[in-house]
Amino acid sequence: MIELGSQGPVIECRSLTKRYGDVVAVDGISFTLERGTVTGFLGPNGAGKTTALRLLLGLAEPTSGGALVFGRRYRELEQPLRRVGAVLESGDYHPSRNGRDHLRVLALAAEIPPARVEEVLELVGLGRAATRRVRTYSLGMRQRLGVAAALLGDPELLILDEPANGLDPAGVRWLRTFLRDLAAAGRTVLVSSHLLAEVAQTVDQVLIIDHGRLLAQGPLNELTNADKTLEDIYLELTGSESR
Amino acid sequence: MIGQVRSELLKQRSTQTAVFLFLAMVGLVALAVAMHVLALSKTRLATNAHQLDVFQIGTRAGMLFAALAGALAITAEIRYGTIRPTFLVQPKRSPVLAAKLTVGALTGFVYGLLAEGLMAAFAAIAFSLRGIPNELTGSDYLRILLGGASAAALWAMLGVGIGALVRNQVATLVGLCAWMFLVESVSEGFVPGAAKLMPGSTGLSLAGNEHNLSIAIAASLLVGYTAAAATAGWVTTLRRDVT
Repeated sequence: MIELGSQGPVIECRSLTKRYGDVVAVDGISFTLERGTVTGFLGPNGAGKTTALRLLLGLAEPTSGGALVFGRRYRELEQPLRRVGAVLESGDYHPSRNGRDHLRVLALAAEIPPARVEEVLELVGLGRAATRRVRTYSLGMRQRLGVAAALLGDPELLILDEPANGLDPAGVRWLRTFLRDLAAAGRTVLVSSHLLAEVAQTVDQVLIIDHGRLLAQGPLNELTNADKTLEDIYLELTGSESR
Repeated sequence: MIGQVRSELLKQRSTQTAVFLFLAMVGLVALAVAMHVLALSKTRLATNAHQLDVFQIGTRAGMLFAALAGALAITAEIRYGTIRPTFLVQPKRSPVLAAKLTVGALTGFVYGLLAEGLMAAFAAIAFSLRGIPNELTGSDYLRILLGGASAAALWAMLGVGIGALVRNQVATLVGLCAWMFLVESVSEGFVPGAAKLMPGSTGLSLAGNEHNLSIAIAASLLVGYTAAAATAGWVTTLRRDVT
């Protein structure tokens, strides 16, 4: 499917700003993400990552500036689930709904055929747990259900907010493999995290944010060298060492 | 839009909430009928008007549980965070609200029919136990069923609107119960002229339990209240950030 304007950036943020009263959660962030890149969105807890992603996804309105996905505001995308898949940090499930129905609810609204629900359940390894209520799922299973939901529309862009949070080692390994597979398939991925080790192994480039401001951006191999790891740069920029 | 409505219907069917609401309604109607029919003296249950007055239990229960179901359709999504994936699929938000109001009206109508049906059945048993002749006519029953179910359908939409406006689940549910059982009852004692114009009372007039208002005026008032609540909830939902 070739679409008009498909050569433009996948994500474009221009002076993206969000204020809540006196607090500036996101402070004039500007960046663009090109097709097929895997980008780590890094910063301490409370740095503004989640707010920035919510602005990007049309869940919240920016105070000023703007964010475009495939050249449009998210709210103006036709069938957004077929372009953008998002896994939000908040883990949004009704505890007494089962995994399959959770996905079917979304598939019906997005006009995605029910067979795709079964496909993504198998893809994330939840086929056998599909009829169990989500309240009985482990944290890792919930994360995978979130990933399944994001993959429903087979989107070109994946946005994952803190996907490694609370995962056990097996879950972290699964996530790492999954991110690599996405990258190998040429998809564009934006993954936010405060866990550097996971991200450094997977991403091509990083955005480092703290106190709502973008402190550094660029390809991982240009920012780091033999003397400076991603961790060194991150701690230097965010001042986390002295906290 | 059809997909969105089917998604909303699946949301209702895929949790136990509807079952709990229905069981609570059965219990409440049975208890209230027992208290009224078994406790009141035979002379206060003898006439058609007396018996219609007892039947307001069914109308009130139908309206209340329909409103609770409507309110839960939105406040449960906000409470559990499923509103986020819902709005990611449908970022324009208006189709989500339209679907919730449509499904609310349908399920509210069913709650109304069930409540009035249960009321009629329990009352028939209780009257015959005490040897009180049933004075209600076929046209009384028809108006109770259709009027009561229509009132419940409107109350369900009113519940969706209030839920979208208030957002907090406990506050919304407590508020709706308090309105039905406290505010309107107390007003009947202090300001009867105003009380008969209130949403619950207009529903009773629609179902023929009260004869304070004509059907046309009662229907217009209740439609007006519902439209006001739905509009307020709709406008705030479009404007507010989802956090």
